[in-house]
Amino acid sequence: MKIVLFSDVHANLYAFEKAMQSIDAQQPDAIYCLGDLVGYHIYPNEVINEVRKRGIATIAGNHDAKVAKLTPEKLAEGGKNYAYSLIGDSEKAYLATLPAHIRLEFKLKGQLLTVLLVHGSPTSNDEYLLADKDEAEFIDVFTHANADILCFGHSHKPYHRVLTNVVDGQANYLHAINTGSVGKPKDGNPQGGYVVLTINDNSSTTVKNSVAIEFIRFDYDVEQAAKDIEDSPLSNEFADMLRQAY
Amino acid sequence: MTIALFSDIHANLPALQAFFKDVEARNPDSLYCLGDLVGYNIWPNEVINEIRKRKIPTIAGNYDFGIGRASNDCGCAYKTDDEKANGAVSISFTNEIVKDDERAYLRTLPAHIKVEFQLNNDKLNLLLVHGSPRKINEYLFEDRDEKSMLRIMEQADADIMCFGHTHKPYHRIMDGGVDGQHHFRHAINIGSVGKPKDGNPQGGYVMLTINDNSSVLDRESLQVEFIRFDYDIETAAKAVENCPLPNAYAESLRKGI
Repeated sequence: MKIVLFSDVHANLYAFEKAMQSIDAQQPDAIYCLGDLVGYHIYPNEVINEVRKRGIATIAGNHDAKVAKLTPEKLAEGGKNYAYSLIGDSEKAYLATLPAHIRLEFKLKGQLLTVLLVHGSPTSNDEYLLADKDEAEFIDVFTHANADILCFGHSHKPYHRVLTNVVDGQANYLHAINTGSVGKPKDGNPQGGYVVLTINDNSSTTVKNSVAIEFIRFDYDVEQAAKDIEDSPLSNEFADMLRQAY
Repeated sequence: MTIALFSDIHANLPALQAFFKDVEARNPDSLYCLGDLVGYNIWPNEVINEIRKRKIPTIAGNYDFGIGRASNDCGCAYKTDDEKANGAVSISFTNEIVKDDERAYLRTLPAHIKVEFQLNNDKLNLLLVHGSPRKINEYLFEDRDEKSMLRIMEQADADIMCFGHTHKPYHRIMDGGVDGQHHFRHAINIGSVGKPKDGNPQGGYVMLTINDNSSVLDRESLQVEFIRFDYDIETAAKAVENCPLPNAYAESLRKGI
């Protein structure tokens, strides 16, 4: 089955609309959103309501989880917090009850294969699992979380890394997948991005290339998204970050 | 957030269409399907494709597991010889009409989905299975011994466990707490969209509401609503009668048995 994973929309409606068009054209069997619907841009409610309308199973990112903790004084401060002050009450209530993780347990050919979806890491929505993480430490993260395929966002830098965990002389291949960011990429490419994960009958931790992972990039109106930031009380630096993807 | 959970459609397209109409009017925040898309009626491919088209996270039921592998065993616990003979016709008929692509979809459905909430600095795990966490075709009936039910949920680390398979909806709250500390666990059978067996022929599903105060410490902090909806039962029953499937399945639909 074909599963689309997307993340870190960050209230960028222009990028989100194009992401939905691109995803619909892929005709996936299921879609999951790995969080951070809000922050850094001015369309949080539009993004939240489209995600809800589509019934997309979504987990909380650190920005989503933060919203409920901001006091009215903090929200009135402006600056970065302006982006959260725009969020409506119903949308806040939705963010406040998003789950932290979703776990998909496949049983293919009698073997368990666990796909764990988190925002940052299995222990924190604000921890970065970067591509150059020490292999043994990375394997520990998988072992503690009981995951074979770990999918996350948060850093806005997409990658797929296969880790080899040898248990009793048998090599187990674990997959770390950063889905990248729909609305605020930081890998130097300003296009939005998401991932297509394909699970086949023979997908297994013991067969190295038995899951297919595809990184999709799509164009959107970066200039308009950047201008809307410049025309708002948000810092112009956020607009520049969209143009330069950093 | 509101979560709609539905299950056991069993190739009944008129029931599935009526379900979508009903559920879409209620605007749930997410939707999960707990399996058994196929068997006992003439529209397995159409049901699969309606669910795929909507990209609904779906787990495998025992019938899906069997058909996915082109097996002649659906893992159903038929009691009488008549039931066994009818069941054999149904699985062979379903295997004949399910197409390759749809079969491949059934074969790679996950067995379980666990949605892990962290509200009020406490965890609250919602586990979705078809039969039980241990077996895809285990029946968890309402009268099951409480200790046994709690043990199954504790072993699966499930605070809220939703399942189908028996086609008889119920919600049971059990306190598995120790040392005066409550730990309420919810066992929820979500009923059946396309083959109810509780005497009510209407289709059924569940709407679950998780609030920011939902917790294992508070018995009433989770809202569980059982929804029943009308659908064109006659069309579904006549489809059974006009195909090689045993007429007994048409009677089951008309009576909800």
